[in-house]
Formats: sequence, C-alpha cells, structure tokens
Amino acid sequence: MTDTAAVPRQAPAPSGVPVLELRDVDVSYGRVQALRGVSLTVGEGEIVALIGSNGAGKTTTLRTISGLVRPSKGEVLLRGQPIQGMGAEAIARLGVGHAPEGRRLFSRMTVRENLDMGAYSRKDRAGIRDDFERVFALFPRVKERSSQLAGSLSGGEQQMVAIGRALMARPTLLLLDEPSLGLAPIVVDSVFEVIREINQGGTTVLLIEQNALLALNTARRGYVLETGEVATQGPSQELLHSPDVQRAYLGM
Amino acid sequence: MILSKRMLPILGVVGIAALSACGTSTTTPSSSGGGGSSLASCQGSITVATDLPLTGGDATDGPPVEKAAHLAVTQANANKVLGGCTLKYVSKDDATVLKNGHDPAQGAANFTALSSDQSVVGVVGPFNSSVAVAEIPVASQNHLAMISPANTNPGLTQVGTNPDVNTTSLYPGAKTYFRVIGTDITQGQILSYVATKELNFTKAYSIDDQETYGKGLSTFFQKYFAADGGTIVGTASLPGTTKDFHTQVADAQSKGAQVIFFGGTSGNGCGILRSQMPASLPELGGDGCQDNKFISDAGSNALGSQVTSAPDASKLTTATQFYTDFKSTYNEDGTESPYTPYGFDAMNALIQAIKAVIVANHDQPPSDSQTFRDAVVAQLHQISYSGATGTVAFDANGDTTHAGFSLYTINGTKWAPKELLTADATGKVTVAG
Amino acid sequence: MSDESPAAADGMLVDQRGLTSRSHRGAASSPAVVATSTVLRQLYSLVQRYFPQILVAGIALSILFVYTTGGLTLMGEQIKNALVLGAIYALVAIGYTMVYGIIELINFAHGDVFALSSFYALIIATSFGGFVNSLATGSGIGLLVALVILFVTTMAAAGFTGMAIERVAYRRLRDAPRLAPLITAIGVSFLLEGFMLVKFGADNVPTKNDLWITGTALTLGKVSIAWTDLFVFATAVALMFTLGAFVRITTLGKAMRATAQDRNASLLCGINVNRTISATFFIGSALAAAGGIVYSLNYHSIQWSLGYRLGIIAFTAAVLGGIGNIVGAGIGGFVIGIIYVFGGQLAGGEWSDSLIFAILVIILTFRPTGLFGVDVTTRA
Repeated sequence: MTDTAAVPRQAPAPSGVPVLELRDVDVSYGRVQALRGVSLTVGEGEIVALIGSNGAGKTTTLRTISGLVRPSKGEVLLRGQPIQGMGAEAIARLGVGHAPEGRRLFSRMTVRENLDMGAYSRKDRAGIRDDFERVFALFPRVKERSSQLAGSLSGGEQQMVAIGRALMARPTLLLLDEPSLGLAPIVVDSVFEVIREINQGGTTVLLIEQNALLALNTARRGYVLETGEVATQGPSQELLHSPDVQRAYLGM
Repeated sequence: MILSKRMLPILGVVGIAALSACGTSTTTPSSSGGGGSSLASCQGSITVATDLPLTGGDATDGPPVEKAAHLAVTQANANKVLGGCTLKYVSKDDATVLKNGHDPAQGAANFTALSSDQSVVGVVGPFNSSVAVAEIPVASQNHLAMISPANTNPGLTQVGTNPDVNTTSLYPGAKTYFRVIGTDITQGQILSYVATKELNFTKAYSIDDQETYGKGLSTFFQKYFAADGGTIVGTASLPGTTKDFHTQVADAQSKGAQVIFFGGTSGNGCGILRSQMPASLPELGGDGCQDNKFISDAGSNALGSQVTSAPDASKLTTATQFYTDFKSTYNEDGTESPYTPYGFDAMNALIQAIKAVIVANHDQPPSDSQTFRDAVVAQLHQISYSGATGTVAFDANGDTTHAGFSLYTINGTKWAPKELLTADATGKVTVAG
Repeated sequence: MSDESPAAADGMLVDQRGLTSRSHRGAASSPAVVATSTVLRQLYSLVQRYFPQILVAGIALSILFVYTTGGLTLMGEQIKNALVLGAIYALVAIGYTMVYGIIELINFAHGDVFALSSFYALIIATSFGGFVNSLATGSGIGLLVALVILFVTTMAAAGFTGMAIERVAYRRLRDAPRLAPLITAIGVSFLLEGFMLVKFGADNVPTKNDLWITGTALTLGKVSIAWTDLFVFATAVALMFTLGAFVRITTLGKAMRATAQDRNASLLCGINVNRTISATFFIGSALAAAGGIVYSLNYHSIQWSLGYRLGIIAFTAAVLGGIGNIVGAGIGGFVIGIIYVFGGQLAGGEWSDSLIFAILVIILTFRPTGLFGVDVTTRA
C-alpha cells in the first residue's frame, strides 16, 4: 500500500500478527446475548468468510469490529492494537471499510456523493481521484450512474456503490455484509469477481454470506457461527467437505 | 382601570410627619347635608378606612390616593365637620409580596376584618377591578359602604356589560358599592366624542387585544362611534402576543380608515401598532395605552397619538385648594397619579354621608352599627357633593353621574393631559377643562 | 393511509363497499353511516393526493379575492407584508428542519434562540459606546460595515449558543427514547425564556435602530416598498441560496446530508458525526440569528417571549415544506407568510394563528411528507 492519506494508518503489522483478531467477544443487545465468546483471526491478504444461519450473529460480529456495537467482554485487535470501545468513525479512519447489511447508501444523494462520503476522512485529492477511477474501473455501471440518486439504482448497482463507497476510504480491511443478497445470479458472479480483484490488490476481506458455497469458494478460510458461537472453522476446502457443514449450509 | 399596573420602585413613605401639618388647612368642604346643625352634642368616634395597594408594583397610584383620603379625614376632624364626634382612620394595604402588588385575596381578607369592626361604617377603595370583584360580596353581606376611586370595569355595577364578571352574584346582600370614576362605557363615549366631534373622523378601524378590558373598551367605542354618526370600516381582535400589525394597517388604509382605535394595553401591542402605522394615520386608545411602554414601542411614530386615561383634575379650579393642601401636608405635588383627588373626594363624600346620617338621627350616631351602615349607604345614594373633581353623585347602580376621562397626547417624550371630558348619565359629553 | 383492509386481516367480514374502518363494527354500520364514511374516505384520499394543488389553488383564490374586493393596492400591500413576514419565518424554519433532519428532534428551543439572538444583536449594536450603531447611521458605507459586523458577530454568537445547547442538553440523549430529548428541548426553551425575562425584562425592548435603514426603495403602483422590506426579503433569499449551495457542494454540507440520512453509515464512512451535528446546530442557529437581526431592523422592538409563537409558526413552515428539507422549509416559510397575511385579511386577524395551526394539523393528517417531502413517518 502506498497510502498517502492525511489520517495516519497503522504501520503494517510485523509478519505473524493478524490484521484482525477477536478474542472471546461477548455482545448483548439488552438482555439478549448475540455473541458468546467469539474468537477469530483474519490474516494479511486473506479472504475470510463468516457463514451461518439467520440470527447466528454474523452481522453483529461485523458491527462489533467496526465499532457500531460495543462488546461487553473480550477484545478486538486491529494489527495487535485493541480497538473495542473506540468510536465507529475512528475505527473507519484506521482503515476498516464496512459495506453494511442492507447497503445503507445515502439514497437521497448521488452515487458520486456517496463515493465522496466514502473518502470523507481523506485529504489527498489526487489519491481520491485515482480511487474514483479504480471504483469506476471495477464497476463500469457505477460510473454510468454516477450523477443519479443512489436510491434510484437497482439492487445490484446499489451493492456495487456500497462496496465502492467502502473502497473509497482505501481500507486495509474490508468488511462485506451479504454482498449477494437480493441480486440476480449473474450479478452475484460479477460482484464476487470484483471482491477477488480487490483482494488481489492487497485488501484483506472479511465477508458474510448466506450463500455458503459461493463464500467458501471465494474465501481461503471460513468460520461457521451458530447462535452466537463459533461452531467450527477451518480452511474453506475442509469446511466444504465437512458433512455437518454440507448438511446445514450447503443443502446436501 | 386595567388590572395590572406597571412595576415601579416603592416610593418613599412620607406620611407620619404630615399629620402635624393638618392644622394649616383652611378649607371647609362645602356641605350639602349639614342643614345648619353644629352637631356639637354629637358624642363618640366613627371609623372610616381605605383599602388600596400601597406596596410592590402598585406603589405609583396607591399611596397618593391613600394620602388624599387620609387628608380628607384629617381636615374633617380639624374643621369639626361631625361636631363633637371624631373620625378614626384605618388604612389597609391590599398588595402582597406574593403578587408584587394588588392581590384580590388580600383585599377580601381586609374587608372581612373591616366588616367585623363594628365602628367601621365605610371604606374608600379598592383601586383595581379584580380586587373589587373579591371585595364587593364581603361588603355587600356586611352592609358596608365602599367607594372606589379608580375602578372602571363596567361589569362591577352593570349587569351584562362584561362577560367575565357575573354582576348579580357580586351582591349577595345590599348594594353598597359606589365609584367616583367613570366606567369603560363612559370612556368609550368620550373616545367616540373625541374621534367624531373633535377630530371629525367618520371612518375608524378598531383593533383589540382579545382581553376583557381591551375587548370591552373596543366594543363600547365601536357602539358609540356608530351612534355618533361614524362608520367602523373594519375590526380585528388579535392576541396580546401579536407583533405584526401590517396586515391590519393595510386593510384599514384600503378601507379608508381615518383613525385606528386600539382597545388594549401597551403590553399587548398598542405602541407596536403605532410604530407600524404610517405617521399620517393617527391612533386612538384608552387608558391601557397611556404609559411609557407605549412611547418606547411607538418609537419615532409616537407623536400624534391620542389616548384617554384617568381624568386629570389638576387644572380644575375646584381642585386648586386640594392640590395646595396636599402639597403643604405631604410636600408632594399630588399630580403624579391622576387618581389622587378622587381618593380625596371619595372620602369626603363618605364623611358627608355619615354627617347626614347623624343629623337625621338627632345629632347622634345610630347605636346599632348595622342601622348606621345601612343609613350611610342610603345617604350615599342621595348625595350631591361638590368636591375637588366636580360634583360627586351616584346613580342607582352606584356609578358616578359625572364621569370624566382626560385626553392625553404625547408632548415631547411624555404623555401630557390635553383636556378633561366628562359624560353625564345620558352619555352626553362635555369638555370640563 | 392504506387502502388495504385491516378488517380482512383480522377475519372480519368486508362488505362490498370495501369498508375498512374498525369503528363501524356492529350497530354503527347503518347504510347512512357507511355512505357518509365512504364519501369522507374518498374526500380524504382526494385531499391527500392533490394536497399541493389544493393549497396553491386556495392561496391563489385568496389573493384573487383580496384583489377583487380590496383592489390592486391592497393586494400588493398584503403580498409585500406576506413576503416580509415569510422571509423571517423561512430563516427560522430552516433551523427546525435541519435539526430535525439530522437528529429527528423538534428543537423547541430554536424559536428562543431566535429571540435570544435578537438581544445579542441589540447588545452588539449598543456596546463599545454604541460604535456599531453610530457607524450604521453615519453613512452608506458605514451602514454596510455595521451590518457586516452585526451579522457576523451575532450569527457566530447564536451559532455557538446552538452548539452549546446541543452539547449540553441533547447529545447524551441522542439514542434515548424520542420523548426524552423532546422534553429536554422544551426545558431548554423555558430556560432560555426565563433567562431573557430576567435579564431583559418583561416588556418590549426598543432596539432603537429605526434610523439604520429608512425610506422608500421603490413604488409599484400605489404600493410603496420600504428599504427595510427589501432588505429583509433579500437577506433571507441570499442566505437561503448560500445555505443551499453550502449543503450541496461542500464536504461538510454533504456530511450533514449523509448524517441526516443514515447516521451509522456515516460513522462507517469515518464522518465525525458529533462535529457534523454540532455544525448543523451552528448553522441553524446562525440563520435564526439572521432572522433575529432582520426582525429587529424591521420591527424595532424585541421581547423575551418573541420566539415562542414565531417559533411554532416557523415550525409549521418547516413541516409544510417537508421537515428535513431545507429548500422546502424556505418555501414553506413564504407560503406560511402568505397564508398568515391573506388568511388574516380575509377571515380577520384573530383567525391567523388558528389558520396556521389548522394547516399544521391538515399537513400531518394528509401529507406528513409536506409539500416537497421527506416522509416523517418513515423516518421516525
């Protein structure tokens, strides 16, 4: 990464220190406990998938990482530094990009303005311009629609803008929440193609997917969440061949 | 009289030393009930009282009226108006700290105390109409005569003239209430006279502030303005919080109004309205407008406004002696409040009624206090007494038959009395001075 | 309003007229009642659908009626009065709409910030030995300089007041149930009113700036338009355009819109939400201050209680324009000014306030999104 952003990013971690590590994290919404002792690691340059059924705690895990939710117990380490308890905006500035569940675009702003907001904390105009080009190159459709209101776009286009907006911050860690949700199969393929491209460009990716097959085929490793706990984990290929995973998530 | 008075710092109290000066008076109020009797054989003491707001925000008007009433008692004793009998004087304050001025509850308590004192046969007061509403029933039940030097609310005496006052229920017993000041009905008549006869206006636009006083005055003005041959081209009733009168001013102008009448108080926009009117269009108002608030709100437009307010007797020849005596007794002009001579006349009327009762009772005060009080009320109904402010006489309602209001204009930066106008029982207005 | 029948959902019989109201269960469903309710319902949906058209037609008819009964001069005078009044409402309405847009709070203290800032302006104009005052009455250039000084300092002071209110009274309650900050806002409103009452007294306070802007600017027919009228109107319009551009073009402006639309997504973009909300309060309060200044230059007297009634009327303007919609609030201010003046002309001034609040009720019933709307109900 040749990051020239005014907001200082953390120095690359010494090899061996994971980009992200969750240690024994508990999260509660009121009296309902959403996560119990979740631990996971994401290494430099990896794509890691979080799979599990609805309500298993996948989205809560991402929200905890990006600071929208505070854990009641445990630690969230970004390159070895604890970030739990920091505000979401501060975590965003540390290089964590988050394309949230439901895309959460600014629907009454144009596509271009949405991407602008992605780059909000950056001051390097030249870099921002480059990243616009990069996003437009990844998603030509987004470029075509750049002066339209985000709310007027189709679901697939909105997903592209959501990912693009997260990329505009030049994240070192990208959190993607259900990028395939509600998209036509052909669009899903192209979105995942782009995710691989982004990853090859050096961005570490942690993604949530309902479509476990697709997720595990894209990711190097995977975690399976069940009722707020990590049920199993391992390299994608192992999980793909695990009978439990096949029965529960791959419909075999 | 408007119900709330502007807050002013309490005036210094001068009173006590003044008593020693009473002997200097040389006036004998001309008596109508004397009948040549010297009353030399009269024995005993009779108590008269005042009930006025003497402290807090009402300290501009209350204390001088109290002093004037007290002066009347002192002079009567010095001149042996009751012969061998003497007058005792009691002063009650109806202002409370809680209300920072006149307080109806305190007024009612004062009247209960005065009523239970058998030697008290009459009271001068109160100053404020809201206090009168609380006091009149107490006085009525106890047959105690009361003469207000300042109440203008017509509902106190005349049934159906004020939607906020149930006149009939004010008098559970005898009708013992009198006042030496005209009502807002008279004020409406005089305002209409000024507008139609003196200023020769035929078209007026009327605005009120939606409050009892303002609405009432505005209604009476409209009624008499129409009766005097004028046309009310438009009306508006706006809440006291109104700050923008441009709509109404434009409406008035388009309807050819020659004057805008404002029924209400300065606090409710009398002066603000003036500031938003073209200088060429005059404004006319009642006593609620006659204060410094009006002048500061009206700004550069203040000049040319005319209002009626409390009658200014200071230029009447009949009042010259009173003002001289007041000055020598209290070392004050007595002109700060126009109500001052009315306190003097109210007390003198009461004393004359008492004298007439004693004369009729073979030169002795009636031994039964209730009989005495009833007789005083009966005498007040018949009285015709030439006082400092003119003839004091009452109609069947207890209202003065010679009600007056003064017209004030802005002279430089102050309100200055221009003339005193009076209206008789038929509503005929004359310029008194 | 939905035309889908809730009755069907809970197993009730739905008659052929498609009656949906639950209130007609049982004996009440006489044919007459049913017929009336159907008519009412159709009326309801008609009003709902054509609300802007009905409003515009009503206003146009009122103006026409004033023209035919009162003549061209009266109509012109009242249009002028409406635009001057509307300009002040618009400036205040924008603050309501911005704050509601960003934190979904009806900032009841906003009207009082307006009143307070008119006192700020008075203090600034009269302190330093009345320097600004004498500057303003000295010469044309002096007036310009005085106005610049007055606007900059008063707007800044009011802006910081607004920020302080947000910081102290609202920030900690941002995620509390909606009622809590609402009650706090009412509390802040009373606090400010009490402060002004004690500090500046109960009476109208003359601002003694009658001589700042004087004279007639132009005469159209028999309608003379004073420089103050022109000044009030031009200031409001200029500030509204400036704000519009600011919100559209600048990063902070975009961040304000982003925060208004989705606070969490804004956080994920690294937007400093607290600072953005602070900035919103600053700008909203500063515009109210501009309203306070033009108010005092137009009316020459101010009072502690000024903000309460004017604030509610301006709030209605914000709702009319679609609360959260800045342009809408501006236009809503002028529309309310027209309704106020022409309603007062036609129905009598005593009806003006009632008319405004009837409009508020009608908008909330039929058109919660306002004329140009952001849907309040979906945002709430």
